[in-house]
Amino acid sequence: MPQRYSFVILFLIISCITVFSQSNEKITVNTIDKAKLYKLIKERKGKILFLNVWATWCIPCREEFPAIVKLADDYKNVEFVGISADFPDEVESKIIPFLRSVKVNYKNFVSGFSGDEELINTLDEKWNGALPATFIYDLNGNKQTVLAGIHSYDEFKIQIQKILK
Amino acid sequence: MKQKINSVIKAFLLFNLFAVVNTFGSEPQKAENFKLKDYNGKEFQLSDFKSSKATVIMFVATQCPVSNAYNERMAKLFADYKDKGITFLGINSNKQEDINEIKEHAKTNKLDFLILKDPNNIIADKFQASFTPEIYVLNGNLDVLYHGRIDDNRRESDVKEKDLRSALDEILAGKKVSSPETKAFGCTIKRVN
Repeated sequence: MPQRYSFVILFLIISCITVFSQSNEKITVNTIDKAKLYKLIKERKGKILFLNVWATWCIPCREEFPAIVKLADDYKNVEFVGISADFPDEVESKIIPFLRSVKVNYKNFVSGFSGDEELINTLDEKWNGALPATFIYDLNGNKQTVLAGIHSYDEFKIQIQKILK
Repeated sequence: MKQKINSVIKAFLLFNLFAVVNTFGSEPQKAENFKLKDYNGKEFQLSDFKSSKATVIMFVATQCPVSNAYNERMAKLFADYKDKGITFLGINSNKQEDINEIKEHAKTNKLDFLILKDPNNIIADKFQASFTPEIYVLNGNLDVLYHGRIDDNRRESDVKEKDLRSALDEILAGKKVSSPETKAFGCTIKRVN
């Protein structure tokens, strides 16, 4: 009987440690500029790139986020990256608290571009800047898909699978 | 069954294609006349302002933090240019923002220009406007002379390029707008569909 109790206690301790470490996992959000973005897109290392541009003030971006978190769990052969269009001095006050609330599981940057227009045109000259927007690049770093506006898990999944084929 | 799945996929692809065209397509070079009511129920049409030196159409919102960051700047633009023959028309196309909210928001933020409600985002669709604040400047023939942002930074203290002001000054001076198309991030207009 006492042995059974100690087993339960041990299980509870391990669970607490796991929950505690998950909630305190360090989230870092660095700035990304044009050179870093080009490098990120070109350095594919055998994975396609799913690049989502969002902002904490953008309601559809926030609504879309859980679907991308789920995709990042399900597709380990895809590199998921987010770029926040918030200001770099809002990383601690806005970006990280939001990322923590959605239990983010992929890398996020904050735009360090000289202005919105530079980031918009670097990603797509034809894009007018409406958020959220998602760009999917193949293994050679070539842009294959642009998805404007909010999308669901299944809609993203179809696009990812098309490129993985 | 297979045929059904195929048609669903086709419909989905078509929908996506439309979404891409809408946000990545070319903008209209000429506007069409339209009729809309302001938050007091009074109807206006674009052609009412034909004699203006230019008409500034501003797609605005009450709940968007980006549009709200520009409230003071929009009020100042209106104050600075209204007596120079420039008309300012705010258009609210967001489905969740009703006329009472728009009226209250305009009063609180001292937005003294006309703000029209665009039910079912029909006018936003015609302009292919997709976010707030998004600007179109038209001449009397409804040609689009300028399209894009108010300025280059959501934070007023960091603004370097006052694009809308520059465009209006060029129009008033009888010059061609030197940067007729600019871009910025904004809140997506919440459409009915």
